[in-house]
Amino acid sequence: MYLKKSKRVGASSPLNGIGKQDWDSRRKRKMGEISQALGVTPVDVAALRRMAISEGGLLTDEMRCRVWPKLLNMNTDNLPDKPAADLRENHKDYHQVLLDVRRSLRRFPPGMPDDQREGLQEELTDIILHVLDRNPQLHYYQGYHDIVVTFLLVLGERLATVLVEKLSTHHLRDFMDPTMDNTKHILNYLMPIIERVNPEVHDFMQQAEVGTIFALSWLITWFGHVLSDFRHVVRLYDFFLACHPLMPIYFAAVIVLHREEEVLDCECDMASVHHLLSQIPQDLPYETLISRAGDLFVQFPPSELAREAAQQNSQQTAASTFKDFELASAQQKPDSVLRRRRKERAETQAQAQAQAQAQAQAMVVARPRAKRLIRLAVMGLTVALGAAALAVVNTALEWAPKLDLQFFP
Amino acid sequence: MESSLELTTSLPGTYPPLLRSRIFKIIVIGDSGVGKTCLTYRFCAGKFPDKTEATIGVDFREKVIEINGEKIKVQLWDTAGQERFRKSMVQHYYRNVHAVVFVYDVTNAASFRSLPAWIEECRQHSLGQEVPRILVGNKCDLQHALQVGTELAQKFADSHSMPLFETSAKNPDDNDHVEAIFMTVAHKLKSQKPLMLSQPPGGGGAPPLGKSEEEEEGGWSCNC
Ligand SMILES: Nc1nc2c(ncn2[C@@H]2O[C@H](COP(=O)(O)OP(=O)(O)OP(=O)(O)O)[C@@H](O)[C@H]2O)c(=O)[nH]1
Ligand SMILES: [Mg+2]
Repeated sequence: MYLKKSKRVGASSPLNGIGKQDWDSRRKRKMGEISQALGVTPVDVAALRRMAISEGGLLTDEMRCRVWPKLLNMNTDNLPDKPAADLRENHKDYHQVLLDVRRSLRRFPPGMPDDQREGLQEELTDIILHVLDRNPQLHYYQGYHDIVVTFLLVLGERLATVLVEKLSTHHLRDFMDPTMDNTKHILNYLMPIIERVNPEVHDFMQQAEVGTIFALSWLITWFGHVLSDFRHVVRLYDFFLACHPLMPIYFAAVIVLHREEEVLDCECDMASVHHLLSQIPQDLPYETLISRAGDLFVQFPPSELAREAAQQNSQQTAASTFKDFELASAQQKPDSVLRRRRKERAETQAQAQAQAQAQAQAMVVARPRAKRLIRLAVMGLTVALGAAALAVVNTALEWAPKLDLQFFP
Repeated sequence: MESSLELTTSLPGTYPPLLRSRIFKIIVIGDSGVGKTCLTYRFCAGKFPDKTEATIGVDFREKVIEINGEKIKVQLWDTAGQERFRKSMVQHYYRNVHAVVFVYDVTNAASFRSLPAWIEECRQHSLGQEVPRILVGNKCDLQHALQVGTELAQKFADSHSMPLFETSAKNPDDNDHVEAIFMTVAHKLKSQKPLMLSQPPGGGGAPPLGKSEEEEEGGWSCNC
């Protein structure tokens, strides 16, 4: 495919301070391991999942073509024909899809010739309408096209069509309901995760009443809408395809937490915090964040957060009927109060950390508290990733769409 | 519901005054593709964006303007047009808005026919009558493709007591028109509420200075 770029650069991508030579040899070894997992019968899907999660992900787009279908338990021996172009105009979402696809220029590699890009945009429209047409229970949302374009660019039209269909009936299913209620419900996991790790950031965001819409496009496009470097997008897709469908919301939380200083320094109001958070930095340390998201998933699995997430709905309504929230927050003078609290907490934390360092050799996954995950990450990506990968493998098997949601109407 | 304009400023007497400028919060709504993102971008960045993308959720843009020597922050909340986003998502952003900009596309009759639904949407979010609303017909540069005539649009605007502006986010010759539209809204907002920030520090209890330069209803309508 045209994405030679993504392959090439994968090799030299900066990997969080790991020496280049070291990485080259590890990379070679990892390629070997992936090929091996693919070569056995039956294919070693658990190993492939670990590879997709661990450092560097699946490394090249050739590997992605081979491994992504396996991560979705798909057999790609007999691909259906190219989707027919004739269903297009009749579909109820045709105009919306067209409008969005036309405006998707930024998703294509910068140097791509126009006619090639236009051909791909046609294919993109075809795939989307094909999947929608075959699955009347699925509803198009703006942002779906950002996901599909990624699959198209990596896999080509035919393979992308079958994978996208599978993904749409699984990982993306909740986003494709007639309403976005389930999507909103998933967003409700964000604040409880943040609270577990950094209550101060959580309180600050609550105080600002920033809501969670800043993370909406992250969630429903798997970050495809907001990251401009395609290599980062596919790296994340490796991760998400290997994981529980709620992993993107853990990743969203990790991004917010990564920016805790900026958040706390921000003016404590909805506009400022929304603005800050919705501008995603393009130089995030992806490998570290991925490993951290994996850790968080292990420490605070969705089942543990489900109740709180469900309660957020009622809290939110309560908050919105609270008329003059700006008045309220002005009276409480959030900035200074929170800054003071933050300082106090930092002091106690420094003491706690000194103690914690002494015990750091023992990895305790048991009762997690604030700074533990950072310790995990420092201890070595592989250890943490091992744990995370195991957990996701297990839950991915158990996972059924909307399982969590059914209990909390 | 009371317009909460003054609440974005510091409250006199309670705390040392924040040296903050007033904030006008404006929400921009209308069907997908009518050009909400282009209009808000044009106002804030001064030019037509070369590539826009679908808006997912709500985007935020801001510009500091000056009216009669007062610096004012105009915050534009650019919302997603697709219907599914309105219901459960965008709600949050209707809170405490000071003005609403309805946008339709003059080359797309359907986007004009959706306006009653958008107005109803606003009503459901219990925006009071005193919250100024304006109607913007965008893409006037595409005269050959016109589907919604001025007369029809004006009638509609009149029946909802909104001023109508026909404009183009794209037209390079029409440099200041988009800006003028948002400035008109800002002027309206400024005149609606007395100046809170002219309060002396410590809130000496003096009532806000100067009767607002109250304009009559309808006195600020279209001059395009
Ligand atoms: N000719 C012309 N095209 C315009 C104008 N304004 C916007 N457009 C085009 O109309 C399309 C939609 O514009 P957007 O600003 O993205 O529309 P939107 O209302 O934000 O749409 P959603 O985000 O989907 O709700 C884009 O392709 C723009 O280039 C205009 O004044 N004239
Ligand atoms: Mg838009």
